[in-house]
Amino acid sequence: MNMKYKLKSISIAIGLLLVLAGCNDDNVLNLEPYNDISENAAFSTADLVALSVTGMYNGAQRGDYNGQGRGYPFGAAFVQQGDNRGEDVVNVATFYQLTYTGTYDPTTANNVFYWSDTYRMINRTNIVIEGVARALENGILTPEVAQIYTGEAKFLRAAGHLELLFHFARPYNDTPDASHLGVPYRDFAINSTETLAAAEAQGRNTVAECYQRIIQDLNDAEAALPAVGERADVRQGITRATKEAAIAFKTRAYLHMRNWPLVIQEGVKLNSRFNLTDSPNGPFASGYGNTESIFSIENSAVNNPGVNAALASQYNRRGLVVISPIIWRNPAWLSDDLRRGEGTLVTTRSGVKYTNKYKDPVNYTDPSPVIRYAEVLLNMAEAYARTNATGNALTALNRVRNRSLADPATQAYVAADFATPAALVNAIITERRIEFVMEGRRWPDIHRLQKDDLAPIAGIPQKVANGTPPADSYTLGTAYNGPYGVNAIPYTDFKFLWPIPQQEINNNPTLAAQQNPGW
Amino acid sequence: MLLFSLSLAASAQQKTVTGTVTTATGMPLPGVSVVVKGTTTGTQTDFDGNYSISVESGQTLAFTYVGFKKSEITVGAQNQINATLEEDTEALDEVVVVGYGVQRKRDLTASISQVKGEDISNLVTPSFDQQLAGRAAGVQVTTQSGIIGETPRFRIRGIASITSGTYPLFVVDGVPIYTGDVGGYASTNALGDINPADIESIEILKDGSATAIYGSRAANGVVLITTKKGKEGRIATNYNLTTGLARPVNKFDLLGAADFVTISNEKRSNRGQSDWAAGTDFNTDWQDLVLNDNAFQQDHNLSFTGGTEFLKYYLSIGYTEQESIAKPNEFKRFTYRANLEQKIQDWVSVGVNVGLTQSEYFGLNTGTNSLSGNIFNATRQHPNVSPYDSNDPTGYNLDDTFPDRMGRGSNLETVGDNIPNIIFAIENNQYFSKINRLIGNVYADIKPVSSVNFRTQVSLDKANTNGFLFWSPIHGDGNGSNGRVQSNNNELTRWNWQNILSYNETFADAHNVSLTAVSEYQKERNQSFFATGTDLSNEFFGKALISGSYGVQGSGGGLTENGFISFAGRFNYNYKQRYYLQGTLRRDGLSSLPTTTRWGTFPGASFGWTVSNEEFLKNNDVVSDLKIRGSYGKVGNVSIGNYPYLGLYSPARYADNNGIAYSQFGNNNLRWETSIKYDAGLDLGLFQNRFTLTADYFINKTEDLILQVETPQSFGIPGNNYNANIGNIENSGLEFSATARLLDKEFKWEVSGNISFVDNEVITLVNGADRIGTNTIVREGEPINSIYGIRYYGTNPQNGNPVYYKADGTLVQGLLPGGSYAIFDPNNPSDVSQSSSLSAADDRVILGQSLPKYFGGFNSNMNYKNFDLGFLFRFSGGNKIFNATRRDLLNQNFTNNSTEILGRWQSVDNPGDGWTPRLYASTNTTTNLTALATSRFLEDGDFIKLDNITLGYTFPSEVVEKIGLSRFRLYLQGQNLWIITDYSGLDPEMESAGVDLNGTPRSSIFSFGLNVGF
Repeated sequence: MNMKYKLKSISIAIGLLLVLAGCNDDNVLNLEPYNDISENAAFSTADLVALSVTGMYNGAQRGDYNGQGRGYPFGAAFVQQGDNRGEDVVNVATFYQLTYTGTYDPTTANNVFYWSDTYRMINRTNIVIEGVARALENGILTPEVAQIYTGEAKFLRAAGHLELLFHFARPYNDTPDASHLGVPYRDFAINSTETLAAAEAQGRNTVAECYQRIIQDLNDAEAALPAVGERADVRQGITRATKEAAIAFKTRAYLHMRNWPLVIQEGVKLNSRFNLTDSPNGPFASGYGNTESIFSIENSAVNNPGVNAALASQYNRRGLVVISPIIWRNPAWLSDDLRRGEGTLVTTRSGVKYTNKYKDPVNYTDPSPVIRYAEVLLNMAEAYARTNATGNALTALNRVRNRSLADPATQAYVAADFATPAALVNAIITERRIEFVMEGRRWPDIHRLQKDDLAPIAGIPQKVANGTPPADSYTLGTAYNGPYGVNAIPYTDFKFLWPIPQQEINNNPTLAAQQNPGW
Repeated sequence: MLLFSLSLAASAQQKTVTGTVTTATGMPLPGVSVVVKGTTTGTQTDFDGNYSISVESGQTLAFTYVGFKKSEITVGAQNQINATLEEDTEALDEVVVVGYGVQRKRDLTASISQVKGEDISNLVTPSFDQQLAGRAAGVQVTTQSGIIGETPRFRIRGIASITSGTYPLFVVDGVPIYTGDVGGYASTNALGDINPADIESIEILKDGSATAIYGSRAANGVVLITTKKGKEGRIATNYNLTTGLARPVNKFDLLGAADFVTISNEKRSNRGQSDWAAGTDFNTDWQDLVLNDNAFQQDHNLSFTGGTEFLKYYLSIGYTEQESIAKPNEFKRFTYRANLEQKIQDWVSVGVNVGLTQSEYFGLNTGTNSLSGNIFNATRQHPNVSPYDSNDPTGYNLDDTFPDRMGRGSNLETVGDNIPNIIFAIENNQYFSKINRLIGNVYADIKPVSSVNFRTQVSLDKANTNGFLFWSPIHGDGNGSNGRVQSNNNELTRWNWQNILSYNETFADAHNVSLTAVSEYQKERNQSFFATGTDLSNEFFGKALISGSYGVQGSGGGLTENGFISFAGRFNYNYKQRYYLQGTLRRDGLSSLPTTTRWGTFPGASFGWTVSNEEFLKNNDVVSDLKIRGSYGKVGNVSIGNYPYLGLYSPARYADNNGIAYSQFGNNNLRWETSIKYDAGLDLGLFQNRFTLTADYFINKTEDLILQVETPQSFGIPGNNYNANIGNIENSGLEFSATARLLDKEFKWEVSGNISFVDNEVITLVNGADRIGTNTIVREGEPINSIYGIRYYGTNPQNGNPVYYKADGTLVQGLLPGGSYAIFDPNNPSDVSQSSSLSAADDRVILGQSLPKYFGGFNSNMNYKNFDLGFLFRFSGGNKIFNATRRDLLNQNFTNNSTEILGRWQSVDNPGDGWTPRLYASTNTTTNLTALATSRFLEDGDFIKLDNITLGYTFPSEVVEKIGLSRFRLYLQGQNLWIITDYSGLDPEMESAGVDLNGTPRSSIFSFGLNVGF
């Protein structure tokens, strides 16, 4: 065997292998992802922009709870947290116990993810607003389409910030000019090193500033968005932002701002554009096709907040939260009221009252009811009552209440029932508790009615003990007067507000200096 | 065919040659392989060194025996040929596998630990990695539960990263393999696909010099596995059998029915509420129902090894079946291995090493916080109810009012947290994973001249895993969705091509030089998909995904790729085996980094001085070996994900509407995470190496850690983080290992031991900010994952409230029903009027370190006549464990409790243990402070364990030869039999990042086995 032959063989072997493997930078090192789209391409075509717009709603529907979607903020959490912070439900297991018993702290998952996921959705809205503007500049979108997308983003941005104010800031009337701290109103996309720095420089806006921005966004949204009827179908009229949804949200925001004339001014815009369903069960029995739901978050069998969050899972099948005897035995809730309807809106198991508003305990396809026309009517009723327009107030209140009465002719409220405006306002507030029980609306009312002149609530009311209430505590006939097991939290107590999460405090020096006092 | 062979044999001039093989000193050598060169004809010498073989004149007999030089004698006219074999001192030199080659142990200047395959091959184990615990200094392997398929924690010299991977690189016969869980629905451990019986040796590369040749992949150390290879000689057939039973190492002390009723009702009456529990008709031990006290184990291995001058082979098949102590967890594995090498010419040979494995894992829900998690659920169940109910249509005890919950039996309410009947889940639901795994390589070795060798090797690791999951619609996890079937496929493919050119030459009998040059290309492509069906038409359709049998269907999947290219070189020089120098340099390009920073350079160097080879120590009676070593190396970490630097948008559907959304914040400045490793070591051998000691001091500094930099949640950045090179972490420590041949006459006794002391310190973090988890913290100046929580004082003797320390040292008591705190004054304990607080933000302190400060093992092997006895003790300590399981077992809801609760405060006169507060129903958040860690449940993690003990008996060869065997050994073995610890939980090794929460007990195994050689 001579050396030449050996070397020849070796070089042939190496050469063959090189050809065989074809290893080079291009196919070994320069790899692009298959599962994700690069940020440079995300707004490069009209189709991709449309996908990013839907992605904002995904942020509203699912949230990110340690890698899972648990319905923060609008897919389920606003209902569960809004209910469990109040006294009209009872948490029976461990699930919402920290919220229910007021034992949260800056690391408690419920308040942490409320904050985190709402801002996650808000950043998506800001990314869309900027991305749409670029796409418009580049001629990728028509002005008409760009306008709608921007309107949707602003609607969700306003809704998100409003939700945060309910939990992390004192109500509007805490200071005379609402100059106390609100939340940072984020209005630019945070997606680069430069924007990180800008975001860090931004502290909490005042409550007045936040509301001003919310109203501005909702006004822009109202102008930009299509009307309900202009959406592709009835379902999309409910599950995507519309002109009417922006208006309805303004009635809510103005109510919290205590600007009664503007509640009315916005509310009348929706006159005759919505109708209450005939039955109080209507918005739930047909969540995606009714005349009353103004904006709901859509859920489907394969994409919903899941077994640990979906409303039909937690409130219905698993029965983790029940209607409290406190509201169930409220004398204003007549015993033959249709909203007590067994099998329609309520189910009774071992004498305990469960809501039946969320009807699909297997596939969790119920929408999450964010705002429906009944609320707009009651918002207006309250605004009328507070501005001494008693007649209009009564009309609006009765529109909501009468449809649930066994005999409206005899049971309907009449002016004589209310000696004072305060009595009327109180009746409207109670009606809200009954109409929206287990829809998450109790906490925002508790929040805004602190220090109220007519229907004040003092702090967080005391509640029935955590755990399944005894069956006999649901016996109608008298108002519930105990036993209680969760103490009231005074308005002055720091626990009235949720703390800014520890993660934020640890990583954001600006907000660390602005933590809610006491936390 | 047989006839033909016979006629051939007859036609040749066959004759029978006999003889004796002895050592140079005249001792007969049994077991020497005697082969007719160039044929497969061969035999072995008997106990007295005698052999007899049929051979032709002119043929050559080759005599080979391990540790001796080969002898070849040409057959002439004689009929008796005696051979004398000389000891081969070179061969006796132990060889150690290093990256891309081997080195003689005495030439080593790097820190490498070696574990022989034979030390672990007979143990009952789902994967070999578990059995490395305690066997090598600096190597810490922790099996955290008794679930087969869960990957043990594997640390080499501490924890080198905070958010990137911390698992070592595993290389099998030069193939860098996949590790960790490779898919399916039952937990899987990729290392379980390697049959421990096929392993010749395991080398653990620890310091910078040893690992630098693996460059970017070596930050967490490298483990090299070498499988058995064929040896020239007559075929040797071996059959090994092990069979045994496993049982849980320990169980919780839970309340029996009577105590349970008392405690449950006391929780309620203290709160002024009506009774929860009633009746003691049953006394169910739920742990016994979910655990298996007689889990069957069997392991069979059959191997054939041998070879000629031209072809050497090792062939094996193996079958393992192991039941876990957790029902219905089970593991079945078939393995096949063929290692062949064919010499084509004197200067070129080709070979293949290939292992084929099919591993099946049957799993279960072990979620530590899942309602159907086996331990979570079983420890909560009421002891006074029966798991079965013949009146229920399902036969299981399900609640009449809430059939998704466990039946309440005679109790007045259903079990707390609405948990389902765990027996239903265990007997009906399925979690399954099946891995088909091919790990193999094909290579060619070319040796154009004696000093040069070129090897090219193409390798493949392909793991294809199928999973299946079924949740019954009737009850349990599947009840909500009306049943669930789910199937998935995970296909991992990694190819690797290495070219290794090495050169070895000695100049002037003094200068030994070797050079190694390597080029390596690797790419992996990992693809998965799944399909789910829920809302089943009937529970009948629960064996597979059956078309049309479910109402809601879902599917998904993904595809990722990763690649790297590298060029490396190693230079070794020694002068007369006294002065050693090694240098390595590796340049790696990685697809996971941006183009501008993707190439990294990783140097390593070491030196050694073998003092014992100096003239003044040569032939010293006492010191037979003395070497001083030092090394430096810089390595990287590739476990950083596939595209960590890109800004990305991922699919994000809104209900059934397609969408995308921002999913990763990009960082184009991302660069290599690197570790710098220093090591100084000493090897000492005394009295002809009868006693040896190795000592090492090391420092590993990881710099430019790729940390997920947390961004404030209000920025809304995906995951609230992005990847950046910020942070440093340092591990340093001392390692000692020693061996001693205490007796080596008829009674042989060898012992060995090792101990390691490791310090971990986080040096810098992003802006110096703490990274705070639920129970742990990463803080500058502290060891990683220190336990972080509230200090506990005990109970208030006046009212039984739990009392805690605030950060300033003052005391506060939790007020029931909860949510508020009052100052506690030990001099006035009844005062609860002064409101105070306990804050997660301000009052938590570091309670202890979660990393053991020291760990090691002690091994002993004795032989007397035909008996052998071996055992291994392991120990570890210096760490604290937050025993969250213990807290769970003191649950104030309507669940069962541990007997610890009997020490609760009952009254001023009966204050209990001073540690356990007054019972108060449904107040876990306050009574047990469930949101935070507290020192109330903090315990020492120190332990000493008898890891395994084996007693064997080898039948005398003259006996077994009569029945045609060459070896027959029987043994009895016990694993995990005994532990000394103060830890009150099941086992101090059942912690993860310092927290013990609802794990499945580890197992003890008794087994019996035999080794048969033909």
